[in-house]
Amino acid sequence: MIGFDYLGIAVLLLFLGLLIGFAAFGHRWPMVLRSIRGFDELNTAIERAVEAGERVHLSLGTGSVIGSDSAPALAGLAMLSRVATATTMSDKPVVVTAGDGAMALLAQDTLRAAYERAKASERFQPISGRMLGPTPFSYVASLPILISTEGVSVHLLAGSFGAEGALAADFGEHQEAFVLAGTDDAQSQALLYATAEYPLIGEEVFAGGAYLKVGPFHLASLRTQDMVRVLIVALILIGTILSTLGVSL
Amino acid sequence: MSDVRCPMCSTPNPEDAEVCASCGARLKPLVADQPSPQGPSDWEEKPEPIEGEEPEEEDWLRRVRAEAESELPEEEVPEEAPEDAEAPDWLGRLREAEIPGEEGPPEGEVPDWLSAFAEEAGVEGEPTEAPEPDWLERIREQEALGPEEEVGEAEQEEEDWLARLTEEEEEPPEQVFKEVPSLEPDIDWMADEAEAEVEKLIEPEPEFEEPELAPIPSEVSEFKPTEVPEVALPEFEMPHEVEEPEIPPAPEPSDLEPAEIPEFELPEVELPREIEEVVEPRPSEIEEVIEPIEEEAPQVPALIFEEGEKGPPDDAPDLDLDAIELPDWLADLKQTAPPEKGPVEEGPPDLAPATLPSWLEAMRPIDTFRSVVEIEAEEEQIVESAGPLAGLRGALMAEPVVAMPRAASVSAARLEVTERQYAQAELLHRMVEEEDRELPEARAERGRLPFLRWVIGVLLILAVALPTVMSLQSGEGFPLPILRPRDLDPLFDLVERASVDQPVLVIFDYTPGYYGELDAVASPLLEHILTRGLRVATLSTQPTGPALADEMLSRLGENGQEYIHLGYLSGGPTAVQLFVASPREAAPKGFNLPEELERQTSWESPILEGVSRLSDFSMVVVITAGPENARTWVEQASPWKGETPLVMVLSTGAEPLVRPYYEALEPQVDAILTSLPAAVAYEQFIRSRAGAHTRWNAFGAGMLSVELILIAGAIYGVVGWLLNARRGKDGRRIG
Amino acid sequence: MRVRTSLIWAAAAVIAGFFVLLGYFVDHQVINNLRLVLIRWAVLLAAVALFLGLFNLLSVHWSKVSEQVTGWPYSAVLILAFLVTLILGMVFGPDNQVSLGLFKYIQLPVEASLMALLTVSLAVAGFRLVSRRRDLFSLVFVGTALLVLLGTGPWLTGGESSFYILVGQVRNWLVQVWASGGARGIVLGVALGAVLTGLRILLAVDRPYGD
Repeated sequence: MIGFDYLGIAVLLLFLGLLIGFAAFGHRWPMVLRSIRGFDELNTAIERAVEAGERVHLSLGTGSVIGSDSAPALAGLAMLSRVATATTMSDKPVVVTAGDGAMALLAQDTLRAAYERAKASERFQPISGRMLGPTPFSYVASLPILISTEGVSVHLLAGSFGAEGALAADFGEHQEAFVLAGTDDAQSQALLYATAEYPLIGEEVFAGGAYLKVGPFHLASLRTQDMVRVLIVALILIGTILSTLGVSL
Repeated sequence: MSDVRCPMCSTPNPEDAEVCASCGARLKPLVADQPSPQGPSDWEEKPEPIEGEEPEEEDWLRRVRAEAESELPEEEVPEEAPEDAEAPDWLGRLREAEIPGEEGPPEGEVPDWLSAFAEEAGVEGEPTEAPEPDWLERIREQEALGPEEEVGEAEQEEEDWLARLTEEEEEPPEQVFKEVPSLEPDIDWMADEAEAEVEKLIEPEPEFEEPELAPIPSEVSEFKPTEVPEVALPEFEMPHEVEEPEIPPAPEPSDLEPAEIPEFELPEVELPREIEEVVEPRPSEIEEVIEPIEEEAPQVPALIFEEGEKGPPDDAPDLDLDAIELPDWLADLKQTAPPEKGPVEEGPPDLAPATLPSWLEAMRPIDTFRSVVEIEAEEEQIVESAGPLAGLRGALMAEPVVAMPRAASVSAARLEVTERQYAQAELLHRMVEEEDRELPEARAERGRLPFLRWVIGVLLILAVALPTVMSLQSGEGFPLPILRPRDLDPLFDLVERASVDQPVLVIFDYTPGYYGELDAVASPLLEHILTRGLRVATLSTQPTGPALADEMLSRLGENGQEYIHLGYLSGGPTAVQLFVASPREAAPKGFNLPEELERQTSWESPILEGVSRLSDFSMVVVITAGPENARTWVEQASPWKGETPLVMVLSTGAEPLVRPYYEALEPQVDAILTSLPAAVAYEQFIRSRAGAHTRWNAFGAGMLSVELILIAGAIYGVVGWLLNARRGKDGRRIG
Repeated sequence: MRVRTSLIWAAAAVIAGFFVLLGYFVDHQVINNLRLVLIRWAVLLAAVALFLGLFNLLSVHWSKVSEQVTGWPYSAVLILAFLVTLILGMVFGPDNQVSLGLFKYIQLPVEASLMALLTVSLAVAGFRLVSRRRDLFSLVFVGTALLVLLGTGPWLTGGESSFYILVGQVRNWLVQVWASGGARGIVLGVALGAVLTGLRILLAVDRPYGD
């Protein structure tokens, strides 16, 4: 006897259908992205870093690749593909750090692919993607040395952070770097709002791929998120009204 | 009447038109009778040919024919073209070249190499070894009908004549240009003067013996076969079937705008066989003519010398003007007296020096270029020995002049540089220099002390350390909480109702960084549990979790008797899912087992006897700082825990996200304990004065310090905001 | 036909992800067992990846020491501590008193101090927030933080006053209603983003394992 979770399957198909549909036919409806200050100034900051011979650092957080906290790090990898392409020919190419070994390996693969696309495979160095520490605070403890010795002027945090994320952002601010920080944890987002120059609130970290124009599927993902969010809001309102009216669901 | 095409705009005009109806260019060149001492202005003052008189352009042709007939009686002399009376205009232009008094470039403006040609004009019979062009070969082939000696003479005449023609075409604009009728389709519009020169060239030349070259007239003696092999054209008559080529007359220079260079194209004429034979010299005869000259012509040193070959002397000038040979007509450029104009018998025609039209003269760059090349006599001109112009005289020496560097004999073009440009150039020069210069290693900047950070840090340290240093007891500083939080009652009841036969599962899911807070919050609960006689089994999904559990429980109980460690559960949420389904398989070993359990697993401990599922525990307590871990356990454990209560011990920051699980209509969390005040209250409830109470004063002082710092920062920011708004400037950032 | 290796990796990722996802929606013995197998493989691979990450960490710091770049003494200390801990853990075991002593007297205080450093950093950031980011939300942020602190911590005047009780209730209302609701909304949005990020990987649109 096979049991099916029909509701789950329906929701999954809804997500898939919207994602593929927007990716295939989304160009018919031009999408206007609201301005996110951090992404607006990120390109300029990277260009300035490349011209000044300074380094861009991307942190993928302390989350594990097999947990639910891997999602923002995977979004960070999508941003990495764009950032790496922009810094391929720089004197100091981008360096990616993670608090998990598997995430560091994924970062190396993403960097290698970016260098191959730029026809600069000989410039790729495996140590560009590295693990700084197995625990969150041991990871953060290594950041000040990295930022100061490698001349980091653009400090990107896109991954799963706890309270240590605020410390990581503060280290970047102390070095007067361009700090763009985003995570999935609401508590950490509150801390990043106070410490980072350009915090990403909510799910803005997942919009990085769309803002950096990684691909059409990223824009389609944003559209799908918006549409499903509206649907959820509608359902919440309906449920609230019905509960208020005494209708049990 | 056939139309005449304008050389400027190619508009067909009536034959008798003087100027073009479209552009106003002169259609019929002016023919000057008397040489004018003036220079370029002569272009504008050409006397018109007098109708009725025999066209002067026919004189030179008749002379050539006469010579040819007298020298080559057996030759099949082609009939003179019946259209001699109507010589084509290109001939007219050739005749115009003999306009006396037309000077070329003023004195001093003749290029040096041309001057060298003029000086060497007296050298005869200089050998050359340059190959002849194809058209010259054709001229030579026409000698095939006559005896060799006569052919040689004719060839020599042809070579000289054509050489002069060709050389005139290759002259710079200042010099006389020649036309080669029907053989050279490109006729420069400045052939007006060349016409006069050619008349002189076509003077019957004196006989010369084979194989030596006959003495040639002074005007033509400068021409060597290698440069412009001259071929004496025998007289011939244009066959009737050969159409007279309609060659539009060269436009008058005065009719031309300085910027206009007319496109003058000769219509292609299919020559009769006789003419082709005439113009096709035999290569062998050419070689015979060339060979004797070869020995005598000055050799231009090659740019790239072969091994063992000496190069030119270092002090040798780049251009040996003395070695350059110039034709006679170029030599006449130096003569002050106008060349004689008369019958051909009186001497070779004097070619008027090249003159520039006024509009071209106006285009001459002022003070930037002065041609210092003087036209030399033909015998002084160097015969080109390399390249496509090999064998020609009067050609611009490519190697000495172009390839080899030489100092400019005149001042270089003066470039007007403004001060700003000069400054920019200097800046660029400095920037380029700096790229090569090694900068000394900059000394590391002395680190500035972040004043604000140090002040706040010291303040917080004092606030936290002073109560501990002063050994303030609880209640002596900050008052203890009086009101018990409403969340404590359910927790207390759960612990009180827990079965002592079943162990309590305590999960330590936090990192060492949160040890300070969570140790204080969780200690009262664990103390209460152990005090009631409940035994504890610990587990962690963090690598440092078992060590933290041992650190906390070792202060409260005895290992193996009151608590046992299940160890580290690797795999994150996935491992949690596996554990809740089957605990014994997911965590088989243990951590820091007592001696009696050496070489055994933790499940063999009496504490875990009879426990095989999650619901076999009397209570599940999750101590965590992150809401994600809490949510994971809530969502994974709920389907498997049954009636076992789930308790959350949280950091203050995780409370907002976990509390909904506790306050839901169907709560998945049965009790919650968060923040130090709640822990202090719990200790008061169980009448204990453990870890939470000892931290109470330090906690209060620290909180108060942070509150004051935030208030000060807000006031500072608002005041600065208002002041900047009043000043209308952007504020400075602090720090 | 030459097959690109990247296609093989993409196919493996897609197939594995599909069966694990299917196991959550289809209750079938075979699919459930396959899902559990794949999850266990993922756990094993994560543990191996941890080893690789540690090896990467060691190699980076070793190269810094050998090349004597700026900050190489810190790398030397790290390598020394790494090797000592590794050797002691392999010799005595991770639950030996020696290893526990290293943890208790070195790692624990260091990480707790970093948390204390975070407190200082947050205090400094709170002080500068209004002056740096001059907008209404910064004021609201600081005001809310102040209210929560006042409602959480003890007062020198004691906890019997009505004002203290009022502030406590305001604090609870802020935390349990506004903060909780806002955090829930953020979590929902994050969940949506996480779902779509995972779907992009399942569809092989995003290939973090390389093209």
